[in-house]
Amino acid sequence: MSLFLFKKPRERKSIKEPGLGISRKYQLLEGRSYVIEESPPDISFDAFANMVSTPDDKGKKTVGMMVTRQHPDLVRQKYGLDQTPIYWLATRTGEDIISPTNLGILTHTMIKFVEEHPSGVILLDGIEYLVSNNDFNKVLRVLDQVNDHISQSRSRMILPVDPRAFEQKELALLERNMEKIVSPAVGK
Amino acid sequence: MVKILVVDDSDAFRKVMIELLVRAGFHDVKEAGDFESGVEAFRREKPDFTFVDMILPGKSGVELTKELLTIEPKATVIAMSSIINKTMIRLSLDAGAKDFLLKPTNTIALSSVLVMWSD
Repeated sequence: MSLFLFKKPRERKSIKEPGLGISRKYQLLEGRSYVIEESPPDISFDAFANMVSTPDDKGKKTVGMMVTRQHPDLVRQKYGLDQTPIYWLATRTGEDIISPTNLGILTHTMIKFVEEHPSGVILLDGIEYLVSNNDFNKVLRVLDQVNDHISQSRSRMILPVDPRAFEQKELALLERNMEKIVSPAVGK
Repeated sequence: MVKILVVDDSDAFRKVMIELLVRAGFHDVKEAGDFESGVEAFRREKPDFTFVDMILPGKSGVELTKELLTIEPKATVIAMSSIINKTMIRLSLDAGAKDFLLKPTNTIALSSVLVMWSD
């Protein structure tokens, strides 16, 4: 048998999460990307989980896709995400794992999602990890490319960023075409 | 002035929650750490909003929600938990909670809930 047999694409069932019956708490504008300056990325994950588990003001469900440094099983358990595709940023091989050095696959995966789900939401967690594995400018180009597709659609992207991990100039470049949300420090 | 009661067994979380509420302009905030003190504070303070952690020592947040709504059926109870457990959220809503907040919460989510459920 040939090793080059046509591989049937893996069938993925619906990626819509069932509704939780709670209110939508985050109103992110369509076609916009949001940099959320925070550590740990609590607001970003809450916003993402809330958006994919609640209908918008027109009663429509939002589908999401997540790329994260955290193990997908833990993320699914904490945020109740059963259907949402979650890609793990890690130097391992396996299904739904993206290597931090493979920026091409990362870009392709996010752009494909935006094209297939023009009003979806992407959470990209682990930008610091990407930068530590690649040149900053290369990572910036990935974000610019995905952001261009977001702007042309009704999608949204959430990008948690630990401001301590970047220089001022780098932060400014990350945020230049995105909305910025700063998490107020509590308990200080 | 809007009165708020926070029922959570974590001192640290209550402190953070109160700070967030004060920053959002809500200065009349009371706290309790378990079912009994929660019921007592609720009877005494008659809060406009009560934030209830679903996991409390002894009787659960779901039981507390039911008890508070028996005392005052028009009360606004918001359930809280540090994980999104669909069963637990369903039980809380069935018990009469109006909404759910994931812990640790933040000003955006908190303000949204307070605006959504204000009269």
